[in-house]
Amino acid sequence: MNTDADHLHEDHKTGIMRWITTTNHKDIGTLYLFLSLTMFFVGGAMALIIRAELFQPGLQLVNPDFFNQMTTMHALIMIFGALMPALVGLANWQIPLMIGAPDMALPRLNNWSFWILPFALGMLGSTLFFEGGAPAAGWTLYPPLVLQGGDALPYAIFSIHLLGLSSILGAINIIATILNMRAPGMTLMKMPMFVWTWLITAFLLIAVMPVLAGAVTMLLTDRFFGTSFFTASGGGDPVMFQHIFWFFGHPEVYILILPAFGVISTIIPTFSRKKLFGYDSMVYATASIALLSFIVWAHHMFTVGMPLAGEIFFMMTTMLIAVPTGVKVFNWIATMWKGSMTFETPMLFSLAFIVLFTIGGFSGLMMAITPVDFQYHDTYFIVAHFHYVLVPGSVFAVIAAVYFWLPKWTGKMYDETLGKTHFWLTTIFVNITFFPQHFVGLAGMPRRIPDYAVQFTDFNAISTIGSFGFGIAQILFLYILYKTLKQDVTADNKVWEGAEGLEWTLPSPPPYHSFEEPPKVE
Amino acid sequence: MNKKIKTYYLLTAFTIFMFGFSYMLVPIYEVFCEITGLNGKTGSINSTLVIEKPVERFVRVQFTSNVINSAPFKFSPGKKEMVIQPGKIYTTFYTLTNQSNQPLLATANPSITPGKYAEYFKKIECFCFTHQQINANETKELAVQFIVDKKLPSEATSLVLAYTMFDITKQLGYKLEK
Amino acid sequence: MRNFIVFLLSTIPTLALGDWEVNLPRGVTPTSVLAYDLHMLIFYITVIIGIGVFGVMFYSIIHHRKSKGVVPANFHENTKIEIVWTVIPFLILVGMAIPATQALILMEDTSEAEVTLKVTGYQWMWKYEYLEDNVSFLSRIDSESNKARKLNSGVDVSNVKNYLLEVDNPIVLPVNAKIRLLLTAGDVIHAWWVPELGGKKDAVPGFVNEMWFNINKPGIYRGQCAELCGKDHAFMPIVVKAVSKAEYEKWVMNQQNNNKIANKK
Ligand SMILES: [Cu+2]
Repeated sequence: MNTDADHLHEDHKTGIMRWITTTNHKDIGTLYLFLSLTMFFVGGAMALIIRAELFQPGLQLVNPDFFNQMTTMHALIMIFGALMPALVGLANWQIPLMIGAPDMALPRLNNWSFWILPFALGMLGSTLFFEGGAPAAGWTLYPPLVLQGGDALPYAIFSIHLLGLSSILGAINIIATILNMRAPGMTLMKMPMFVWTWLITAFLLIAVMPVLAGAVTMLLTDRFFGTSFFTASGGGDPVMFQHIFWFFGHPEVYILILPAFGVISTIIPTFSRKKLFGYDSMVYATASIALLSFIVWAHHMFTVGMPLAGEIFFMMTTMLIAVPTGVKVFNWIATMWKGSMTFETPMLFSLAFIVLFTIGGFSGLMMAITPVDFQYHDTYFIVAHFHYVLVPGSVFAVIAAVYFWLPKWTGKMYDETLGKTHFWLTTIFVNITFFPQHFVGLAGMPRRIPDYAVQFTDFNAISTIGSFGFGIAQILFLYILYKTLKQDVTADNKVWEGAEGLEWTLPSPPPYHSFEEPPKVE
Repeated sequence: MNKKIKTYYLLTAFTIFMFGFSYMLVPIYEVFCEITGLNGKTGSINSTLVIEKPVERFVRVQFTSNVINSAPFKFSPGKKEMVIQPGKIYTTFYTLTNQSNQPLLATANPSITPGKYAEYFKKIECFCFTHQQINANETKELAVQFIVDKKLPSEATSLVLAYTMFDITKQLGYKLEK
Repeated sequence: MRNFIVFLLSTIPTLALGDWEVNLPRGVTPTSVLAYDLHMLIFYITVIIGIGVFGVMFYSIIHHRKSKGVVPANFHENTKIEIVWTVIPFLILVGMAIPATQALILMEDTSEAEVTLKVTGYQWMWKYEYLEDNVSFLSRIDSESNKARKLNSGVDVSNVKNYLLEVDNPIVLPVNAKIRLLLTAGDVIHAWWVPELGGKKDAVPGFVNEMWFNINKPGIYRGQCAELCGKDHAFMPIVVKAVSKAEYEKWVMNQQNNNKIANKK
């Protein structure tokens, strides 16, 4: 453990240099979370441009090409700039505290994996100001369309390489920490659920981010170096890109949701004052979801013309995912059952997560059915589905986690009334935004269109109203965070009556260097 | 070696392996296409295909053509359709006209529909095996010689052969002589 | 802001009266009906599961709360029930997979078609070729929609008939005949989709995909490109006119004559 001690006792600098040079997991966690919050608003602003244009039929605000740039950038920024950094930020703060480690295993690497991010995102964002604009082929970057874009493509691809590199380094660090730095006595099967989900997520990350890097590199060489991976003139096939992309893409969506499962599995027992039901089956369910995620990718592309056997195979494997996911939901409800529940803000977000994520899961099960997916594919029904699993799914889990651990991190309690107001506004508006999209999708509205036939007007207008309400509710969230940091209401060490785990044995806020002497876990 | 550093190296090696794996997916995909007939890639030739007495069985083959990115080609099948017998060799042709004032390099990609029968459609000679250089305003007849395997499942009564023509003059950076 | 409030108020009567499409159309082909029936089946199953799961959850939320003085129970596993809620969903899934697979097998059987229509997607129009009948034409968004859809065109699109869903040259097809579509593209990937005729299929440059349908009711059916294909992706609609066989043959003859005249010129 000597190598850590060297880092830990470096004199840490003050001011901006403290943040640039920091190798402290708490500082880096904070940096990640701030970056994520910023990007959440940037990506959200893009979403509002999209929704504003879709408020009425006809083009009123933006031209179609800019609209396509917005849908592309909104997705890339929300996934790589907002959600993944948020989850990594939570991991940075919580994993060492939860396993009783003094810091992450590789602190300098940790500094690097964060500081790559702002540059990568800056480069990605700068493509908006290029001639020909940002990539406009959707975040899925399908060729040949993506190859038609302007000068932005190589920059966008390089930024994706950097974003991937950052997540890979972060993931390596997380695995190295969890495998090597647990407090004595903490066996794998005694680890908190959040740590388990992150361990599995980190393995997914290092398995698939390089595959994305490979896919976009092939795009790059196809465009500039005369290869023809994705064009039939040289023996390639544009559909092959989709296969490689979704080999990355499906595990990627679990990367976004598994740590969220971990958060929910932490919060529900705390506010039910009862141990997590079925810990073991929770671990196995998470692992089997992760494994299954490698053999379901083609369900994102049922319409490309696959052999019948392929369609049946990917339909069955996809349906199978419902089993471990169901186990998780049942376990959460069994945890609440005969508990002694209270409903503080993190609990409210977690309960909404269970209901709304499950609705997203139901529509996911519907689209697993290949013959019906021929109808759903590339419509707003799909948009509704993945926003249900990502917004009231992953985003709610992140918000719940922030409310849950903020008093621990800062030593200050947030305003519960404001928190609950934030919850209700967010939950109501998220449904007003995304529920009507199911209807227009089923009625025949394709996704990624800036303008639509008049029969889709009413639901689109409702959805737009919901999205602006959702956006305003998040400004309240900012205010709550600001108010918490500025005020004097302190939180005690345990914060929540039902809280369990090593992090709650530390003072609030925890000292800059915690668990220098590893705690004992019996 | 420090355990953490060891984990770090192992995981880095795994990351590099997965990057390589993304490129391995390319040949894997090709093998997969060949097995399943995905994309209608046609089968390879085998000299034992010709049979003395073809079975009294007729299959309709329709021919069609496409040009990519509005290249200055006129490209169409000589015959729109043929009725053939499995086990017999047939020849047909496509015409390609270069409507531009420059020599161009073209290449064609074949595709059989339904894809599941593609492996039974074997090309013996085909203009798609090589790149075609075509002079300004020239018209060429491009031949294709093929045989349909007698093992073609009996429920297959109709096949479509489509050729897609690409202008690859720029892509290969070719300097063509006038 | 005031406009916004006026708009909100003006939506209220529509909210009450509007006949909204909120579901998949049942459609007019065997495949679209199959898809619809499966869709409804799975939907009802999920609704029932949802009611059960959320029912238990809300019962617990209402009754097992601290404010009611409940003391938390101690259990945290129960192998029997965990096996039950793994196996039962699995069986339900098997029950869903069987009809789904049957439907899929039917949908993929493109043999014995009477009409073969080749569809080529371009940025941003469709080309249709009737392979047997030597008829081919391009189909673009009609000019009225095309004018109205421009940024700040000043046209109230609700006055445009079939806004964004009208073309210059519609496809004409016979009813009660198996139609096979061969799909390909001339530049980027497109997808051909008319909801009432069943699913969609991608049109991939360099390759040919196929799908089929058999329309059982004369009428006009509208759809759109469903795969992002660039800036005017939203503006390449599809219109299918399904007519009786006799009418269809007359239409084919007309088209062939028109082609001849055009060629002579
Ligand atoms: Cu299109």
